[in-house]
Amino acid sequence: MDPENLKYHKEHTWVNISGNKATIGITGYAQESLGDIVYIDLPELETSTEANTELTEIESTKATASVISPVTGSVVEVNEELSDAPEILNEDPYGKGWIAVIEVEEGADTNDLMDASDYEKYLEEEVKLK
Amino acid sequence: MKVTILGAGPGGYVAAIRAAQLGAEVIVVEESEVGGTCLNRGCIPTKALVASAEVLDKAKKAKDFGLELSGEVSANIQKIIERKNKIVGIQVKGIRGLFKSWGVRILDGRGVITGPGKISVTLKDGGAEEIETDKIIIATGSRPAQIPIFPFDGEKILSSTDALNLEEIPKRLLVIGAGVIGCEFAFIYKEFGSEVTMVEMMPKAVSTEDEEISAVLERELKKKKIKLLTNIKMEKIEVKEDSVQAFLSDGKTIEADKVLVSIGRAMNSENLGLESIGVKTGQRGEIIANSRMETNVDGVYAAGDVTGGIMLAHLASKEGVVAAENAVGGDSAVNYDVVPAAIFTSPEIGSVGLREKQAVEKGLKVRIGRFQFRALGKAHAMGEIAGIVKLIADEESDKLLGAHIIGPHASDLVHEAALAIEKGLTARDIAHMIHAHPTLAEGIMEAAEDVHDSAIHMPKK
Repeated sequence: MDPENLKYHKEHTWVNISGNKATIGITGYAQESLGDIVYIDLPELETSTEANTELTEIESTKATASVISPVTGSVVEVNEELSDAPEILNEDPYGKGWIAVIEVEEGADTNDLMDASDYEKYLEEEVKLK
Repeated sequence: MKVTILGAGPGGYVAAIRAAQLGAEVIVVEESEVGGTCLNRGCIPTKALVASAEVLDKAKKAKDFGLELSGEVSANIQKIIERKNKIVGIQVKGIRGLFKSWGVRILDGRGVITGPGKISVTLKDGGAEEIETDKIIIATGSRPAQIPIFPFDGEKILSSTDALNLEEIPKRLLVIGAGVIGCEFAFIYKEFGSEVTMVEMMPKAVSTEDEEISAVLERELKKKKIKLLTNIKMEKIEVKEDSVQAFLSDGKTIEADKVLVSIGRAMNSENLGLESIGVKTGQRGEIIANSRMETNVDGVYAAGDVTGGIMLAHLASKEGVVAAENAVGGDSAVNYDVVPAAIFTSPEIGSVGLREKQAVEKGLKVRIGRFQFRALGKAHAMGEIAGIVKLIADEESDKLLGAHIIGPHASDLVHEAALAIEKGLTARDIAHMIHAHPTLAEGIMEAAEDVHDSAIHMPKK
């Protein structure tokens, strides 16, 4: 995935929407702040999730963090590779580190998501200065 | 003063020694082996297995610690059980030695109350003995509860006792009941090489613990690839020649080689002759005793699992001490507010006092302090970073109300908090005391600081 073409959630997850399927992952900023990721609690298939709520949890050597779902829908695919090699989330967060594919609920609102430049600005202005 | 005690488990044998210390003439009647469930079929044997599992786990991770291990490391269940039996044997001898030293007479057989102050004992070696006694303490304990439609068969449907004496490691183990015992065995057998699936009726595993602790434990189960199905009941079990088929309430079926049923324990209050003197029991068969361990019958006391309540060996021992002291004319009572619990899952759990939900239900306003083990250098050096310390303090008085720890050595760490609760100490008291570095105990100090958002080793909130 080319980070430039993705949409972003303020809780540092990215989304790639294609038709009614949304592939999600965590951003470069997220994996950097977390440090070495040692575990991701992959969601079960068919789990339903709501935008702005916790989809799953990630553990790094420094902290545990929630992965906030950027969309509302149901999990249809999960990246099993992350189960044995969670470090992929650090190494390639936008590519091999994709976490899940969510079938977006019909009529679900995806307008709250930022585009790449807005997310950059958001990081500069609101997040990194805190 | 003659005191006769039925049962030589952690309730009975401790009561016996205390009564002897206080000058009574003591007889203990034990139908199986001294040390009871705790020593022979519970606490101690499981810890021996846990230790083997821990070493195996570390051995498998040797590379992470910079070690080169050649060859394969695996569990030899026969040798593991042999080691367990040896350890238990040493402890049993120890207790019999203590009896001798304190002049406690042990009768190996089954005792039944036949009238006021009268107990009839059928001895294991044959023969019988009639006892006339001043006081009676009933500490006959409990046994694994079974599901009536599929009772234990020692082959495919196992109790916790069976699980401590297996001759081979099951390839697929189904555990019914994700409470303390079920979870401990799940981690043990997963480590030894079984594929483990757990089924639990309640919404969470170890539902007697604080919810956050259950949540962390469930994640740890997942990390170990132990499958946990909650909010599910077992509808039917079919025992076949080579396997067991379990039918769940959600329509799914699970196939396993062995099934461990760990749904709780039943009180051993039947066929004791309680009716002959009118000792009152409750709905589940528990002998009703007050905090002085007195039953409704004068001179008859009860202690431990047979009285129901929280079934923990250390509580049984405390109740045994109180029963003995009162039987010999003293005036003691048990304080049930501070009963630490220790669960030997991986990682361990140690808890004492109120859970957050309980505090809220009681209408208490609380402040919570949390600290992650992964923020401790010691935890990293040990290679065991999963877990948290959660302290619950009263908002007004700052007194500690509860402590919940999941992580390395949680079973020992919890006692600092237990003492604090017992003595009415505050979160600030714990935070102010210097804790040695680098230790896991610092996590308690930091969690205490976090109650007031002042933990040094946590980023600003």
